[in-house]
Amino acid sequence: MFVSILAIGLTLAQNPADIQQGKPLFEGLCADCHGFEGTGGRGPNLNRPLTRAQDDDALRAIISDGLPDRGMPRVRRTTPNELRQLVAYVRSLGRAASSVRGGDAQKGSAVYQRSGCASCHVVQGLGGTTGPELTSIGSQRGPDYLRQALIDPGAVLPHGTLAVPARNLDEFLPVRVVTRDGREVRGARINEDTFTIQLRDSNGQLHSFRKADLGQIEKEFGKSLMPSFKDRLSASEVDDLTAWLSSLGGAK
Amino acid sequence: MKAAAVLALVVLIGASVFAQVPYRRIASADTDPSSWLTYSGNYQAHRYSALTQIDRQNVTQLKPAWVYQMRNSGIVEATPIVADGVMYITEPPSTVTALDVRTGRPLWTYTPNIPPDVIIIGSPPVNRGVAVLDDLVYLATVHTHLIALDRRSGAVRWDTVVEDNKQGYYMTLAPMAIDGKIIIGISGAETGIRGFIDAYDAKTGKRAWRTYTVPGAGEPGSETWGGDSWKNGGGSTWVPGAFDPALNLIYWGTGNPGPDWNGDVRPGDNLYTCSLLALDANTGKIKWHFQFTPHDVHDWDATEIPVLFDATINGRARKLVAMANRNAFYYVLDRENGQFISATPYVKQTWADGMDEKGRPKVRPGTEPSFEGTLVFPDITGGANWYSPSYSPKTKLFYHTAREVGTTYYKGEADYKPGTAFTAGGGRRMDGDVAFASVKAWEATTGKMAWDFKLLTPPMAGLLSTAGNLVFGGTEEGNFFALDAENGKPLWDFQLGAALRANPMSFALDGKQYVAIAAGSALFVFGL
Repeated sequence: MFVSILAIGLTLAQNPADIQQGKPLFEGLCADCHGFEGTGGRGPNLNRPLTRAQDDDALRAIISDGLPDRGMPRVRRTTPNELRQLVAYVRSLGRAASSVRGGDAQKGSAVYQRSGCASCHVVQGLGGTTGPELTSIGSQRGPDYLRQALIDPGAVLPHGTLAVPARNLDEFLPVRVVTRDGREVRGARINEDTFTIQLRDSNGQLHSFRKADLGQIEKEFGKSLMPSFKDRLSASEVDDLTAWLSSLGGAK
Repeated sequence: MKAAAVLALVVLIGASVFAQVPYRRIASADTDPSSWLTYSGNYQAHRYSALTQIDRQNVTQLKPAWVYQMRNSGIVEATPIVADGVMYITEPPSTVTALDVRTGRPLWTYTPNIPPDVIIIGSPPVNRGVAVLDDLVYLATVHTHLIALDRRSGAVRWDTVVEDNKQGYYMTLAPMAIDGKIIIGISGAETGIRGFIDAYDAKTGKRAWRTYTVPGAGEPGSETWGGDSWKNGGGSTWVPGAFDPALNLIYWGTGNPGPDWNGDVRPGDNLYTCSLLALDANTGKIKWHFQFTPHDVHDWDATEIPVLFDATINGRARKLVAMANRNAFYYVLDRENGQFISATPYVKQTWADGMDEKGRPKVRPGTEPSFEGTLVFPDITGGANWYSPSYSPKTKLFYHTAREVGTTYYKGEADYKPGTAFTAGGGRRMDGDVAFASVKAWEATTGKMAWDFKLLTPPMAGLLSTAGNLVFGGTEEGNFFALDAENGKPLWDFQLGAALRANPMSFALDGKQYVAIAAGSALFVFGL
């Protein structure tokens, strides 16, 4: 009891000098994924209640050690002083303007349904498995990233979100292979090593190859098996869909 | 008659001498390829096997002979030692196990009492193997003990405290046994230790000499440290070196200065960090030094394996030492006097515009770490790291797992407190599809590229070359593989199910050749 009161006390009492010094540290170490002012990107938006870091000890632990299974590295060791400044800055966030530009989440849900998204994505147990599951995508990605994923999906292929493939390799990377006997297969890369590669095609069929048996392997970096919705949806539909995806926080 | 007498004598010597591992047997390891008597296979650190049974034709038939599952989880970086039918391995963090080479069944195991609050900052809690000499097996532990075990039972013959772990000193390396002495180095530069190389009497464990890698006040080289910065100057020595019995010189690489990524608090070249030292084996006296990376701010330890070989350069026979350095350059030096001969970049690098005539790098401005981050190649773990290269006296090629990665380097606050991290920054490594490695082969004498074989991601696995014209290596994705030593063509691979973060070695039993390497928490032994 005493401990939790103390923790809340510490959370509330941030030193303005720490916040000021924490900002450049955050911009160097964290903004690449979390966005400047923590508005999110490849990593979550931090301008919201941080469910994994409800007290400062938890936040300190996340910054110190990372969340390797969630794709967050420990960028570098920090001194206690630097850590205090980073915590102070992250706790000061929440005032930055949200980059969800007026979209309507409820309308976005309808856009999701009628655009066929569920044929490739799972939300709350329903949908296809060609693309990544989206059940808690709103707590994993910032709105800008989600909007870009709709407009130019190949530019923001996920990495570091799945246990397979490891080593932060691009996930769902389209790969086209041609076997030595002329058979062509295109699919998303499931896994790869120096000598073998595993693909899943758009019908859900698994293909496993030894590279020595292939005449051609074309990794289509910058592309995605998902079509761009730039011309299929209006600007307001993209905003609505972005707002809905941003609201997906997973099971409570 | 005479031949028969010589043969009888050889058998007799074999019978009496091979019951143990005397110094002269290690010194002539090249004539005994059935054994693997020291970390790198021989004192010249070639990691080369003269065995020819497994070759380019039959390597496709390699199969597991046995597998040993470690008692403890953790990364296994150990190279086994094999002598007289017994394999000695270490398990993380500091356990020694003796295995029956024929079956893989344990004969004994020894685990020291490691305090739960042991301080290990700067690496995972690993161990790279033991040394053997006469009837003893030598272990360097994470709680900074050097321990001698009886090779038959694992009983402790002596146990010497090398340094105070509370200050951040710890050990991960395989010791090196020479004539009557055990040579060790130390880890801990990430806590601001003062590095050293020690020699201990092999029979008693009494320290014979200590040579600090950072000179004290007033000693030669101390002028390369501003103020009192030498006191926490780092210079770890965490990978075993090489030894030239004829010159009686030990060659040992030294690690980064402390703190790692903020050099402002230690102005100067910071001798003898990121250097190769040649030490008199009797006294530990530094005969010469060569500093690869003066005033390092990227954590480019020079703790890679120094490889000794002889070659003719410009018509002159030279005794050479070569190192594929973490800073992306392959260096060739004269090992009698430390004279610089050449430095050739072997992976992408963006920090130096070559070397001056003495081998000092011409550092590009703007490549030092910064608070907002500075992207530099090679990466924070370097173009090379602790894992071993291989040199084949047959092909005269130097083989190396060359890491092609960059890092965004950050400078941080320097804050020394004993036994805590003193790193002052760090880095974000490139990863995913843009980070890779290649097994590369180049002419050992000139650094001229012969071939390369691309690996999907950069591993921490070393190489073994063999007289069967093979190069064995491993990947982070679990592949154990063999390449043609002459052209790099892949000939065989086997999925071991977990990352290989170890070095391969080879030995023979009952006339049959085996290759062994660890992957995950297991040791795999392959034969035909």
